[in-house]
Amino acid sequence: MMNSILRNKNKLFIILFWILVWEILSLIIGQEIYLPSPHAAFSSLINLLTSKETYITICYSTYRTLAGFFLSCLSGILLGIICGIQKPLYDLFNPLIIIMRTIPVMSIIIIAIMWFRDTNVPIFVAFLMCFPIIWTNTVSGIRSTDVKLLEMCEVYKIRRMRVIRSVYFYSSLPYIKAGMVSALGIGWKVTSAAEVLSLPKYSIGRFLYDSKVYLEIPDLFAWTVIIVSLSFLFEGLLKTIFRSGDKYD
Amino acid sequence: MIKLIDVTKRFDDLILLKDFDISFEKNKITCLFGPSGVGKTTIANIVAGIVPPDKGFVEGVDNSLFSYVFQEPRLLKWYNVYENIDFVLKDVYEQEKRVEIINNYLEMVELGRYKNYKIDALSGGMAQRVSLARAFAYPSHILIMDEPFKGLDFKLRNEMISLFKRMWEASQRTVVFITHDVEEAIDLSHVIYTLKDRPVEIIDRLIVNNKEEIKNKLLSL
Repeated sequence: MMNSILRNKNKLFIILFWILVWEILSLIIGQEIYLPSPHAAFSSLINLLTSKETYITICYSTYRTLAGFFLSCLSGILLGIICGIQKPLYDLFNPLIIIMRTIPVMSIIIIAIMWFRDTNVPIFVAFLMCFPIIWTNTVSGIRSTDVKLLEMCEVYKIRRMRVIRSVYFYSSLPYIKAGMVSALGIGWKVTSAAEVLSLPKYSIGRFLYDSKVYLEIPDLFAWTVIIVSLSFLFEGLLKTIFRSGDKYD
Repeated sequence: MIKLIDVTKRFDDLILLKDFDISFEKNKITCLFGPSGVGKTTIANIVAGIVPPDKGFVEGVDNSLFSYVFQEPRLLKWYNVYENIDFVLKDVYEQEKRVEIINNYLEMVELGRYKNYKIDALSGGMAQRVSLARAFAYPSHILIMDEPFKGLDFKLRNEMISLFKRMWEASQRTVVFITHDVEEAIDLSHVIYTLKDRPVEIIDRLIVNNKEEIKNKLLSL
């Protein structure tokens, strides 16, 4: 108890330290258009938080991030398991995944704008960016499965589907979880980026874009704080779900 | 009778078995006795069908079910004790029957009250007892025991041996028992093959009737 209070106190000091650095930098620069002061940014943030539109926007952006994320989890885990077990399928998909990982996000966003309605662009982009992470982690997890356990299953003539469900899947679960946590963080970043370019009606990206156009830099910072907070919140939520899952497994 | 006939097995350049013959009597405990690395596990794996022979064949195992007690317990650590045994029985028995069998065997290995424990929470000896219960709960015709008591301390080993004897008496299966421990070999087996390498050759086939005499023979190897 005492330890956790001390830890939190430390964290608070670290946060305050960096806000102080930000304040000093903004004082040195002295131009709000380049770097607004923390005070200006937080005033904007409080302003935003009193508006109903902000919450609708947050809901839409969250929906897009999570939709892309869950789609990538579902397909990444399924395909990852299959490719992890079947080497020829791995060889077939691996080049595609490598290409997906190296294509610049901007190219994907622009292609997606040509293909989809504005609201679906961020979902597609988040999916495409998260999928390779989940797939790669799942494949590594499957490959880390203890051969001795597989031998045991062979001796006891366990059906293939049950070996996949009870041995392969559980062996790769720590890798899948780690992949999901990092994919979710990336999901938030690329969803916002895709929103900035595709400009769906309700989206954090549109507000980021507007603050640039109208030079409302404190707003830009406030929305950024919102994105970062949402990202932390959902990462924490995901980790909590995983931890409680571990307890009751 | 289970027979390996004219079996050759090589791993890369190493010829482990060459035109090798051996037989195992049904419902008896046959011991493969020899130093580590001689190829005892390979022989057992060929019997169990885990490793295919390069040449030759195995007779008398058609439609047989196998169970295996490995050197290490090989349990699924994300399942509890009960679920680990249930895992191998699911394709064999209906739910009701499984509950009865699993409870029965867990009682036999004195782990009844640990059935909801996660594998990580068990000691090495307890985990190996789960592995033994799993092997006997499974309706196998042939049981392969690959140095199952290795690494256990003296007291634990004796407990495991008497557990094994009790369980075997109850179901009298064909057992292929691998060891390089003289006491274990004499204590448990009906027939002992002494082996030397390479390629594997049978030095002697000993029927365990006079334990002292056999012991002296094994110790003199």
